[in-house]
Amino acid sequence: MKVLSVILVVFIPVVMLSQNAVYKCETGRITLTSTAALEVIETKCSKLRGVLDPSNQSFAWSVEVRYFEGFNSPLQQEHFNENYLESTVYPKASFTGRIIEQVNFQQQGPQTVRAKGKLNIHGVEQERILKCQLENKGGKLFVRCTFTVPVAEHNIAIPRIVHQKIAEEIQVYVEAALTM
Amino acid sequence: MNKLIYIFFFSCLCALATAQTPLTRFYPTANYGNIQFGAACHTAGGWLWLGAGNNVFRFDGINFAPVKGPEEAGNSPVSAIFEHDGLLWVGYQNGIIATVKPAGSTIPVPSGDMETDLDNAPALDLWSPEEGLPAAAVTGFCSDGRGGLWFSTYGEGLYVWKQNRLFNFNRQDDGLSSDDVYAIASTPDGRIWAATDAGISVCSMPSFGVKSVGKIGIPEGLTDELIISVTTDKSGNVWAGADEKGVFRFNTAANSVDFSVPDWKYGPVTDLVVFGDQSVWCGTERNGLIYLDMKTGIHNPVPVSRELAGNRIRLLDKDREGLLWGVTGRGQLFSANVAYGKITTPFAGIQAICTDKSGKMWVGCREGLFMENGSGFRQVLPRSENIVSVWESPQNGTIWVGTLGNGVFLISPAGKIMHRLKEGAELPNGSVLSISGNGNIVWLATLGGVSTVNAETLKLVSGPDPEALGSYYVYKVFTDSKGRVWFGTDGKGLVVCENNNFLSFTEACGTPIKTIYSVTEDKNGNIWFSTDRSGLFCYNGTTFRRYTTADRLHSSGITALATDCKGKIVIGYADGFDLLDPEKGHVNFCNEDVGIPAAEVNLNAAWTDRFGNVWLGCQNGILRCACLDELFSDDPQPVISGVSVFFQPVDFQKTNIFSHDQNFFQFHFTGLWHTNPESVRYRYRLDGIDPDWKVTRDNFASYPKLPPGNYTLRIQASEHGNFEYAPEVSWNFTVTPPFWQRWWFIAGVILMVSALAGVYVRSREARLSREASLKREMVESQFAALKSQINPHFLFNSFNTLIGAIEENPRKAVEYVEHLADFYRNMLLYRERNLIRLDEEMTLVKSYSYLLEMRYESGFRLSVELPEQTGLIMPLSLQMLVENAIKHNIVSASHPLFVEIYTLNGCIVVRNNLQRKANPEPGTHFGLQSLSKRYQLLSGKPVLTEEISGYFTVKIPLL
Repeated sequence: MKVLSVILVVFIPVVMLSQNAVYKCETGRITLTSTAALEVIETKCSKLRGVLDPSNQSFAWSVEVRYFEGFNSPLQQEHFNENYLESTVYPKASFTGRIIEQVNFQQQGPQTVRAKGKLNIHGVEQERILKCQLENKGGKLFVRCTFTVPVAEHNIAIPRIVHQKIAEEIQVYVEAALTM
Repeated sequence: MNKLIYIFFFSCLCALATAQTPLTRFYPTANYGNIQFGAACHTAGGWLWLGAGNNVFRFDGINFAPVKGPEEAGNSPVSAIFEHDGLLWVGYQNGIIATVKPAGSTIPVPSGDMETDLDNAPALDLWSPEEGLPAAAVTGFCSDGRGGLWFSTYGEGLYVWKQNRLFNFNRQDDGLSSDDVYAIASTPDGRIWAATDAGISVCSMPSFGVKSVGKIGIPEGLTDELIISVTTDKSGNVWAGADEKGVFRFNTAANSVDFSVPDWKYGPVTDLVVFGDQSVWCGTERNGLIYLDMKTGIHNPVPVSRELAGNRIRLLDKDREGLLWGVTGRGQLFSANVAYGKITTPFAGIQAICTDKSGKMWVGCREGLFMENGSGFRQVLPRSENIVSVWESPQNGTIWVGTLGNGVFLISPAGKIMHRLKEGAELPNGSVLSISGNGNIVWLATLGGVSTVNAETLKLVSGPDPEALGSYYVYKVFTDSKGRVWFGTDGKGLVVCENNNFLSFTEACGTPIKTIYSVTEDKNGNIWFSTDRSGLFCYNGTTFRRYTTADRLHSSGITALATDCKGKIVIGYADGFDLLDPEKGHVNFCNEDVGIPAAEVNLNAAWTDRFGNVWLGCQNGILRCACLDELFSDDPQPVISGVSVFFQPVDFQKTNIFSHDQNFFQFHFTGLWHTNPESVRYRYRLDGIDPDWKVTRDNFASYPKLPPGNYTLRIQASEHGNFEYAPEVSWNFTVTPPFWQRWWFIAGVILMVSALAGVYVRSREARLSREASLKREMVESQFAALKSQINPHFLFNSFNTLIGAIEENPRKAVEYVEHLADFYRNMLLYRERNLIRLDEEMTLVKSYSYLLEMRYESGFRLSVELPEQTGLIMPLSLQMLVENAIKHNIVSASHPLFVEIYTLNGCIVVRNNLQRKANPEPGTHFGLQSLSKRYQLLSGKPVLTEEISGYFTVKIPLL
């Protein structure tokens, strides 16, 4: 028992240290834009959480769907959560994977990288490559990324009648600052 | 087991493999600044696309038309080119990808000057998918046949572009053998085969987004996992070139490697091209081009030229014509016509050739008989024997060898002399020019008729009917597929022996045929034979057809005939040979121009082996026309390369409607025929204006001032000038007529004219009816006027006045009568006219007023105030108004009636003081109404009447 505790005492800081060697973000901003014929809907969320491990270039991003706000009407938000994304059943959307090219995270200035991973929205996983802008500014990693999500790919059914109001492809813009 | 089969083949079919020395053609780029090519791809249209530096070039066989690389390429060179989905995809060393439309009319026709062409060149469009572009070199492209474009990279594995989404396959996430992929190829089942340092990775995307990755390595039979090149064959198998152990074939059906080369000694295989199920051409890192025979496993370096021997081959490709293309390590482009191979022999003047069942080649010449079994030529019969014919007996494989003067030798397949038929008792004539057989009977064509020998007893059978063949020279004996024997004689024409009946043809197509040199049979059973100078004949059993130089045969000096595996007739001459396609009638002449050096075919030195390869014995070696078991095109591919309107290039794929003043057209076209680009001739016709085809060697046509209409430009290209069955390309366009010739304009004009005519007709009708009613009114008014003037009342009054005058003053009476006569004369004069001058009317009124003044004396006064008496007025109108005034008013000395006539605002006004009679004369009111109506009809202006403050006023418009 004592030995175990000694081991714990000795090793936990090491484990924690290695855990500390990752970039983290708690307040990433994510914007969804639907540009349909009759209506433009923009919704935002500032609670995107992410972690990036520079040692193996892997990353994980996640956001709780119910935190999205800024809809054109409260009813829209209700539809978004209940009808389309079913945030009670699938509370989170995530993107996990690895950066394709070798990245020097210490390099100052902007660089373009491609993140390959599994995009999970509405419980449906799709493999995606997302082109991102990465910039190290004084030890802080700024990430910006724009991509499109076809709703049908994630099994989100939009009734024909609202096709004029909700686009079939949603523009996603992500902005996050990661710190060590 | 397979290996055993190969060993067997190896031992018995060696000779076939030695004959591969295709002539290579190098394409100098001195005009283009000695550019060095790094990537190549043949597109469906027949163009060859090449990458050099960061530009790509479209090559038509003569000129290189550049398309500039995108800015993003920087100094990075093109590393891969591919055609997919109507676009040319160009991959770069730095990972970017760009595209261009390969047929692109926007690519100007090259001038030949590199700098000018580069200045005018369009640029590739950078491809920018949402996912971004790789950061590692693009090493290859392929399409999976299911809409997916795959490309490999050196560093990031594979990518597939499917339904506008880019997916990546790599080692860490997807289990690819390695992220460094050297090359990729696809099989018809949609699988992608990637060459990596750790074997072949087999990838596919069975459904959107679903990945499948497999591996082929040592367990599957690869003895070398470092694979650097990969390609697929027509059977759907995969060929891989390794770094060290040569070439492997992976059988996709059996899922294992079923072919490998155990004794490979040429180092890394940089690229592979497979021809049918026969041969593989391998480019190597250090040893040039290697030929590999698939059936035998035999491989040998091809000493095609100094540039290739011992050099690096960067890449290989094949085109629609069956040419092998390659780029050397120094970036030089070359092509090789692998359908033809040359074997150089240590002896000259080959007069007879045959290959036996086991694949050995027997060659006869003035210097004896030679046998080749894969290890070089071995002398079988000595130099003293002049060999003129060789034949293998299908019965027992014995080789029958005919000499000039020394009879026939029978040689065993191993090369031992078994028997000899000497001139004399055994053989009437010892000069045997041709040998053929049928069952047990062997026919010997000699300089003294035909001898028949029993193949088993080797005894002379009773010779043929001397009447039938006599002792003529017989050049050729040929046994056809129906068992008939044909003889080409000198003097007796063509003789056929069918069921021991002899039939002689000495005349065909109206031409006497006496001397026949060669006979062959095509795949439809027609007999072809050549004459000494009357050309070539084809006999289908009932009729003859003659081919001469008019049918584009090269010459009438035909030395040999043979039929190849595709049914074409090979016609040998002393300076090359023709390939005649009996179905299309096309004749292609083959000599140095198509890569066949010095083909001087000797008399009847032609042989078709059982694979369909044709062997031709020439003065300086042997030519082999390989029977390629893949279908290649025999005709140039015509393409429209540009359309200019008033010398301005237009994008003819988008635009085909031109206005009437855009009508000076220039068409550029080309016939892509890399086998012999200079030989291409064109035939073009602009349907809609040209009544007939125009045949030309120029690759452009001009049409100034095309009238409006619909046109179709049709272009055919041919190598040999026979355009029947030649492939055609066409382009429809329209020159629209100017607006004044358009239907809507013409219709509009017609409508307008008819509307105008309608309006005119209506107005004319209205005028006519108005005139008619005017006339009626006039007649009525004249009638009324006359009536009133001849009114007895008026006459009575006048006569009373006259009586009074005669009594009182006879002179005045005379004057009165004169005025009365004047009045009547003028009235009669004017009544017919529509209008009279005002002064004429005034003369009449004055005469009338004189009469009235005489009658009423001081009871009536007329005052006239007309400053100028111009203008027109209706006759008797003023007179009628004065008369009306008299009629309706009291006229007496105590109440005098004053009538005034004056002008006011262009009107004549007649005014009188109103003193109505107590019981007025009964009137019809006809006069004033009629006057008013007539004015209305004639001029549309009204006649106004008014009664104001004791005056009655009438205003008549003055016209």
